[in-house]
Amino acid sequence: MVETRNAGGPEQPGKRDFLKYVLSGGLVALVGSILYPILAYLKPPIQAEVAVSSVKAGKVDAMEKDSGQIVKFGSKPVILIKTANDELRAFSATCTHLDCTVQYKKEMGLIWCACHNGKYDLNGRNVSGPPPRPLDEYRVTVQGGEIMISKKS
Amino acid sequence: MKTLRMLAALITIIVALSGRALSEDQCLTCHAGLGDKESQGYAHDIHKAKGISCAGCHGGNAQADDMDKGMDKAAGFMGVPHGDDISKACASCHSSPEKMKSFGSNLPTNQWEMLQTSVHAKLSTNGNEHIAQCITCHGVHGIVSVKDPRSPVYPLNVVKTCAQCHSNASFMRDYNPAMPVDQVEKYRTSVHGTLNAKGDPKTAECASCHGSHDIRAAKDAKSRVYGVNIPATCSGCHSDAERMKEYKIPTDQFAKFSRSVHGAALLQKHDLGAPACNDCHGNHGAAPPGVESVSKVCGTCHALNADLFSASPHKKAFDDRKLPECETCHGNHEIVAATDKLLGVSNDAVCSKCHRPDENPKGYAVAKTMKSLIDSLETASDTAASIVNDAEQKGMEVSEARFKLRDAHQARLQSRTAVHSFDEQKFRDVVSGGIAVAAVVAKEGKTAVDEYYFRRWGLGIATLIISLVLVSLYFTIRRIERRQAEK
Amino acid sequence: MNGRMKKAYDWVDERVHLEDLVKFMGKKYVPVHRHSIWYYFGGVSLFLFIIQVLTGILLLLYYKSGEELAFESIGYIMSKVQFGWLIRSIHSWAANLFILSSMVHMFSVYFEKSYRKPREITWLTGMLMFFLALAFGFSGYLLPWNELAYFATKVGTDIAGVVPIIGKPMMQFLRSGEEVSGATLSRFFGFHVAVFPGIFTVLLGIHLVLVQRQGMSEPIGMELHEGKPLKTMPFFPNFLLRDLLLWLIVLNLLAILAVFFPWELGKKADAFASAPAGIKPEWYFLFMFQTLKYIPGKMLFIDGEVFGIMIFGLAGLLWMLVPFWDLKSSRGQQNRLVNYLGLFAVFYIIILTIVGWLL
Repeated sequence: MVETRNAGGPEQPGKRDFLKYVLSGGLVALVGSILYPILAYLKPPIQAEVAVSSVKAGKVDAMEKDSGQIVKFGSKPVILIKTANDELRAFSATCTHLDCTVQYKKEMGLIWCACHNGKYDLNGRNVSGPPPRPLDEYRVTVQGGEIMISKKS
Repeated sequence: MKTLRMLAALITIIVALSGRALSEDQCLTCHAGLGDKESQGYAHDIHKAKGISCAGCHGGNAQADDMDKGMDKAAGFMGVPHGDDISKACASCHSSPEKMKSFGSNLPTNQWEMLQTSVHAKLSTNGNEHIAQCITCHGVHGIVSVKDPRSPVYPLNVVKTCAQCHSNASFMRDYNPAMPVDQVEKYRTSVHGTLNAKGDPKTAECASCHGSHDIRAAKDAKSRVYGVNIPATCSGCHSDAERMKEYKIPTDQFAKFSRSVHGAALLQKHDLGAPACNDCHGNHGAAPPGVESVSKVCGTCHALNADLFSASPHKKAFDDRKLPECETCHGNHEIVAATDKLLGVSNDAVCSKCHRPDENPKGYAVAKTMKSLIDSLETASDTAASIVNDAEQKGMEVSEARFKLRDAHQARLQSRTAVHSFDEQKFRDVVSGGIAVAAVVAKEGKTAVDEYYFRRWGLGIATLIISLVLVSLYFTIRRIERRQAEK
Repeated sequence: MNGRMKKAYDWVDERVHLEDLVKFMGKKYVPVHRHSIWYYFGGVSLFLFIIQVLTGILLLLYYKSGEELAFESIGYIMSKVQFGWLIRSIHSWAANLFILSSMVHMFSVYFEKSYRKPREITWLTGMLMFFLALAFGFSGYLLPWNELAYFATKVGTDIAGVVPIIGKPMMQFLRSGEEVSGATLSRFFGFHVAVFPGIFTVLLGIHLVLVQRQGMSEPIGMELHEGKPLKTMPFFPNFLLRDLLLWLIVLNLLAILAVFFPWELGKKADAFASAPAGIKPEWYFLFMFQTLKYIPGKMLFIDGEVFGIMIFGLAGLLWMLVPFWDLKSSRGQQNRLVNYLGLFAVFYIIILTIVGWLL
């Protein structure tokens, strides 16, 4: 706006117009290319909220006794188990045999891998089937009713 | 009478001096007269034949005809040795190469030393002697060479000798309550045990596998029957072509096993989860598994596969045709890692061995379909993985896609298990689950790769626009200043 | 100007007297000489600060403070939110460029002695803003709650704790406890988005008003050029358009950096993990960090680290108060001592930063 006022002159009307159009067109495009990312940024993403933290696994009360669940820990799955005695335990959910994801089998009272029937006891020890090693254990702590899973140091 | 004895003593001394013991053993003379068991047994003892008198073990003076002199404690008489003194008495000669040589023996001289390393060298319940002494197995006052069929450690007698303790539940309970006591019973059902009972000294008995003097617990890594060592122990006989000749069985099992997936895991990685010979054949009851029980044997580890197989139509078909279950497709000693190649109708595949297009078109078609399903899962999963890798190499954040990729990998493994149901629908369910996951992963990966190019294109366009504005702004400034100068 | 625009202008002018402002702007000139280039760095710093405010506000829409969510929310911004990667990378890059251009601006003002009377207050507010910029950097660095940030903060606050008497309470104040924890994160977040921006805005307002009121300073001995007054150019539009030109270049540079070198997130902080090897503070703290490493354990009966911190504190104070002890410049005379001290500071910072970077 300002520069167009100053750019007014009697000489070279053709060049003036060209420059004016290029500059104002460029400015409009510039504003557009700045606003577009910002508006896109403001649009709520498909996944509405930040994913449940890798280490937070919900409320203690929300978990049934004698049950297990898979919790995403970074890029690795962790199995969180609440035993029949109300104890919380967490292990790497990656089967030590061929990297399948294990699950808690209520009727066996064991951690079980569906791929090759590998079994681990509730201390993560491989007790039957092909797994060559126990599952790595994770530390479970409860802070204000929230279950926190963290790596054992 | 006295002069006669004097003469005898004189002769003994002369003979003793000349280095050979030929004289009358006064202890034996007397005890034989009493008619006790010990002296009777000693009559055919190999030690007597070598000229060793009672005093050799019991001490005292064998030449003295006077009982008090002969059994004089001052002369070293010890009466009946107890506990470790027994074995020490044996070891006083048997651990000395010089002494053994002087008797013209070339027996090894390390038995005592080896016994110290054995599980039997632990202290007994009374706390002051080893569990087993030499005489526990070799007997006493009638000891003969191990090659003599009368010896308690002769191959045909060993089982009975070991069983004296090991089949005695109340005795074993004192030392190892968890240890079974039915080994002999099992052994008698085995091929080894039946041949042994028939009087074949060449078949394996207890000591063939467990060793003799240096027997260690099976969980001891140095034991001959420790998981990793078992194949070598069995192959000691079973790979000996000369020895196996009369039994007419192959001798290449060990070589084949070593090349197998089980052998590699056990012998190279020392993975004790992997089976050794005994895990399929049994240990004390060793025998090849029967045709119908193969899937049960393999199923002790490969449980899911075995369950699916047993419920499948193949179970009956195999049993009817006397085909050994798992073995028909996977082999026995030389089982290699199963790949997708086993499935289908190509030349490498096993299905087409029975399911031929002309004779059995239905099975042939199913095999073909299953193969194409598993191939498409592999392709889908590999494609998804390579897209994710590409996106990752471009520096994009794809940890979520990578996390999901695990499910595709899992579906592949599960599909390999599901094959054993030989049910097309079941198999298709597992595979299509995996393909669906792979498709999602591939889409996410592709979005990330597209995003990568989008960023660069976006930057290019923005740079172009900014440059355009810069240039036109520059000229505008110049013109403004030119106008100012003109004023 | 067409009729409708004129009407709108008049409407506003009638109420707030825009005409005065336009007149004032029209009278303002910028001296033209061989050191004119340095005048632009104030403007570039201002532009980068504006970018920081805008991208910072945008980040606030998705960022979640707190031990469990900070790292995850940045990851979310980087991967899930459209152009989140761009906004975050620009915020991080612009932060660094802001400190860099502020440094250039500060040193150019120093060497041209533009702080001399009557611009002491402009210098003081500028220096305070520079220290605030460092505090912005230090507090903002922790907000992603990643491993590097965690340990850098630990080390940084440890150093603060060494200062005699006030050190320990200060460290506890900064950490909100004995250790760097989620409470520290909340605290730093509060400083970064509320406390510092508030103070900074006040200082920036004073700074800008003074610059406009007093105009650009002319270097000593350049007031006359071959007997004639210095050449000038109008601030508006000539200088402002040139400013705009440079800002666009900086904007493009930021976009290129963000696309080709997106700011990394690293690994999540774990208080129980051992410190990763080669932990380093941000580059603008590196020369101090490196110096503390070289100071022997004991210096003049006090702890080496304490000595180092006190020296840096004293140097910073002297530097800030230069308009008050450099009376020669205020009288319009050359003061070589100031130049030598400045050169020493520049070379010291550059060399120690390089050494710290390479080692």
